[in-house]
Amino acid sequence: MSKIDPAPAGGGAVAAAAPPPRGNALWVFALRVVGAVAIPIVAFYILWVTFDFLRDSEANRVIVVGVAVVVGAGGVFFLYWAMNRAVELLPQRYREGVRPWIFVGPAMVLLSVFLVYPVINTILISFKDAQSQSFVGLDNFKFVFTDESMLRSIRNTLGWMIIVPTAAVAIGLAFATLADRLRRGEAVAKSIIFLPMAISFAGASITWRLIYSFRPAGFGSNIGLLNGIMLGLGQNPVDWLSQHPWNNLYLMVIMVWMQTGFAMVILSAAIKSIPDEIIEAARIDGASEWQVFRRIMVPSILPTIVVVATYMVINSLKVFDIVFVMGNAELNQTEVIAERMIRWFFIGQDFGKGAAIAVVLFIVVIPVMVWNVRRFREEEMIR
Amino acid sequence: MRRLRMLSLLSIVLLIGGACKANEDEGGATGAATEANTGKVNVLGAGEPEEMAALQGIADDQITGVDYTVEFESAGNFEQDVQVRGQGGTLDVILLPQPGALPGLVTSANAVSLEDMGYDIGELEATFGTPFMDLGLVDGKHYGIPTNINLKSMIWYPKDDFDKAGYKVPTTWDDLMALSDQIVADGGTPWCVGFQSEGSTGWPATDWMEDIMLRTAGPEAYDQWYKHEIPFNDPSVVTAGKDFGDVMFHPDYVLGGAENTPGLAFGDAPLPMFDEPPGCWLHRQASFIPAFFPKNAKAGVDYDWFPFPSITTEGGPLFAGELAMVFRNSPEVKDFVDRFMGTDFQCAMGGITAASRISPNVNVGSDCYSDEILADSAEVLKEGLTAGTARFDASDLMPAAVGSGSFWTGMVKYMKEGPSSLDGILSDIDSSWPSS
Amino acid sequence: MSLAQAGDVEEAAEPVVAVPQGGGVGEVRTGGWFVRLTIVAVCILWLIPALGVLITSFRKEDLVNTSGWWTAFAHPFQAGAWTVENYRSALDAGGLGNSFLNSLAVTIPSTVIPITIAAFAAYAFAWMEFKGRYVLFVTVVGLLVVPLQMALIPILKLYVNGATLFDYVVFPQLHLNGTFLAVWLAHAGFGLPLAIYLLRNYIGSLPSSIIESAKIDGADHFTIFWRLIVPLSVPALAAFAIFQFLWVWNDLLVAYVFLGGERSVQVLTLNLANLVGSRGENWQLLTSAAFISMALPLVVFFSLQKYFVRGLTAGAVKG
Repeated sequence: MSKIDPAPAGGGAVAAAAPPPRGNALWVFALRVVGAVAIPIVAFYILWVTFDFLRDSEANRVIVVGVAVVVGAGGVFFLYWAMNRAVELLPQRYREGVRPWIFVGPAMVLLSVFLVYPVINTILISFKDAQSQSFVGLDNFKFVFTDESMLRSIRNTLGWMIIVPTAAVAIGLAFATLADRLRRGEAVAKSIIFLPMAISFAGASITWRLIYSFRPAGFGSNIGLLNGIMLGLGQNPVDWLSQHPWNNLYLMVIMVWMQTGFAMVILSAAIKSIPDEIIEAARIDGASEWQVFRRIMVPSILPTIVVVATYMVINSLKVFDIVFVMGNAELNQTEVIAERMIRWFFIGQDFGKGAAIAVVLFIVVIPVMVWNVRRFREEEMIR
Repeated sequence: MRRLRMLSLLSIVLLIGGACKANEDEGGATGAATEANTGKVNVLGAGEPEEMAALQGIADDQITGVDYTVEFESAGNFEQDVQVRGQGGTLDVILLPQPGALPGLVTSANAVSLEDMGYDIGELEATFGTPFMDLGLVDGKHYGIPTNINLKSMIWYPKDDFDKAGYKVPTTWDDLMALSDQIVADGGTPWCVGFQSEGSTGWPATDWMEDIMLRTAGPEAYDQWYKHEIPFNDPSVVTAGKDFGDVMFHPDYVLGGAENTPGLAFGDAPLPMFDEPPGCWLHRQASFIPAFFPKNAKAGVDYDWFPFPSITTEGGPLFAGELAMVFRNSPEVKDFVDRFMGTDFQCAMGGITAASRISPNVNVGSDCYSDEILADSAEVLKEGLTAGTARFDASDLMPAAVGSGSFWTGMVKYMKEGPSSLDGILSDIDSSWPSS
Repeated sequence: MSLAQAGDVEEAAEPVVAVPQGGGVGEVRTGGWFVRLTIVAVCILWLIPALGVLITSFRKEDLVNTSGWWTAFAHPFQAGAWTVENYRSALDAGGLGNSFLNSLAVTIPSTVIPITIAAFAAYAFAWMEFKGRYVLFVTVVGLLVVPLQMALIPILKLYVNGATLFDYVVFPQLHLNGTFLAVWLAHAGFGLPLAIYLLRNYIGSLPSSIIESAKIDGADHFTIFWRLIVPLSVPALAAFAIFQFLWVWNDLLVAYVFLGGERSVQVLTLNLANLVGSRGENWQLLTSAAFISMALPLVVFFSLQKYFVRGLTAGAVKG
């Protein structure tokens, strides 16, 4: 591995140099100050100028994209670099304390505005009435935990949170492991599993409607695949999506179909980064494939499995589109928390109830967060 | 050293250049237009894209010589889009199909009242009728202008086959039941009914209830019903539900049986009428349903309609419609609204084939309508409006939690669980009525 | 078993002893018939739903509504069974080219900006020591749960009117609604939690020896990040880039709310949705629209897939 060039990129303001002659020293000092001050200001101005340009939605699209990419990537990087230079100007003992904040700062700002602020807003609304005019205390929460439809949605969501991640991670992991062994066709196989992620949600819903569609006898032939199979077997067509409780599973299949590709891709990359020697050594020692998988591979990629599982659990927690679009959830008893939230907030025009349901989501995610903290601490101990 | 000098020089140049550019751009790039009578007016409608595109066509033809442009948009998810954009502040005009949602929007999205816009309410009431204008009344101010109306109390039938079989169009409920019996005796199935409509499954059943309610309990009781001045399980409502059940649960009346109606898409339901021999002979549905008929079916030849007959009282036509609401008070928006509700625009609107729009403007003549069926419906509606017997679809007037929620699901449950469930379902709907 | 030990074993044991299972002495990664069969079976199962869509998009309208798509297999060469009419009407519908450009204009920056910001943050969470590290990171993970729809109204209000707290302007009135910048920032904000989560996991799994030796060589964090971590993280960056690209490209709601539904700024998904309407019975149009919309993401995916299909080979990380 090559040695890293210790000189920081661009400009030599901090590089230690032999003290120059008197007159020069003043000039250098002045330039140093101007440079240090001007650079962040220029960074800001450039961003401001392009900001104005980008606000004009009539501008030529190609130029807009070009400018955005340059500013978005280049400018953002420039901003970080400028902030880093600013840190360099600090006295030695403050430098490493402040520097991490430079790295996470912009992310924190964006997250605060776009996610934290709405969360706070939602929590506030959840204590107010339907039109957010006056406080009603815990009434909305009382509703959330006593309404029959809400309770059913909580039960259903728990089902989603358990079944979908398990299926997606299991299938993704198995597929990634097996595909890893293929001599040819690995890319094609993986691309096929990943394909559903490229389909927009509208496309996915039409896809599965062509599977589950139902028409009673006499109103036209059935165009859904499952009913086609039923008719082929001499059975009557079934209104799949209204058969509770199984209809929940039929909907979960859709989500597994769409999300397994994500799990597979990430797990596959993790599997490939396990050093070959470890695996080969285990095989030479006489371990069977299953033992290699269980005792070597899975523990090595456990952090990644945790990440993927966490993401899938949270995604299942907030599933909404699939349930909302495929029929009337309350009639089919397929309600889930996020779907109830949308229905109350937007269609029922009751902002208080909708927000209270959203707060339930926030609360349910806390155990997941706690689990993640523990895992990180463990991982960092090992490192 | 040299690098530093160059960099600093560059910075200073950029500083100055940037400042100049920023000043220049100050006048140029803007996000939202606030100057008078320029810019864009966006109109968000719940109709299908073809309908909005047709309205856009009329607007492009008629709204000329002005400094602003009008853009009609079709909302994919109307209730959600209206709430988000309304509260966020990016709405100009919306075409609201459910007046029950109007009071909520007035508060949450800061709708502009017609009085504040400078309209003479008396004039408007003369043009559209007081009952319709009153639907937009909140706290003494008006917030909605009628822009569309369609007839709902219609029963469609396959005319050619009817004539061949010698059936007569019924004028009373008893005649209708007798006709159904006759069809059964002749070996056919009289009724096609379908209630499925994705997330809105159940709404056609509410139309049935409302037609029956209007013709058994009468218009005054109907008003009390949707205003919740009588409970939802009031005996008059129970009677209406029982009459509805008499048709639906009769063993031979409904093709596929009552329990299959919630699974049958409302657009698919009338299709058996066009088979030879017809799979069914009667279909109760609003005036937009011809858009779902087979393309080669001809109005007045292959199919026709008759009004929902009277039961114990004469009743009146049930209608649904649209109210335009305004959220930005500016000259161009007012100019657009003036033109939109004027007779020129409204008359051109009658010629749209992509949707069946009827103008609520009483000054619009029947010759504006390209379709005979539409023209006849318009006549029936005008009569009903002037006589005061016409009534707006009740579920669109009830609070959303009921009108777009428990009423729909309750009707579906009724179909699935049968006649004995009626009392329980009606009291459930009653208890779901929001208290505020 | 440490790496050193494993290396010794490999060198010491000549492949005299036949390796159990798989095929071939010394060859680890061959799949037998079981592997191949399973993979093919799963792939077919996965493709069937998409196959239905593909076939439907090439069928005539009346056929779509009256017979199941699998019946097309019975008469594959019947004249008049297939048509490209659906694609033609979708492509002719007008505005498609403009909305395609709009989608690009929305998607590319919305992919590039969050990656840059997330990479820095991920590195900090992985390899820098600072107070509140765990709490902050876990909050980021928790923010994954925030439903998009709850964020739309507050942010739209912010964009249109700004925000004041006790008469102090906290957020200036920028009239950002209807601008591309608004969508980029929104997508960046919404995509950051996942980006940070994924990248941090990857960056944290890089061997600490590399970072230690760089520090010994006198590099500061910024240099380590820019010259060492980023090149090594290319697979993870590419993987997240694909996810974000796909998600933003297929998104309709965020673009509609912040950019608008007017024809001049419509994105492709909105354009195609308007083509089809919400009645949902124009299935032949819906399916062809879905495929048109999928074309570019597939191209992007296939061109970048080598980054994570092949994955990092062990050699690049060792040493």
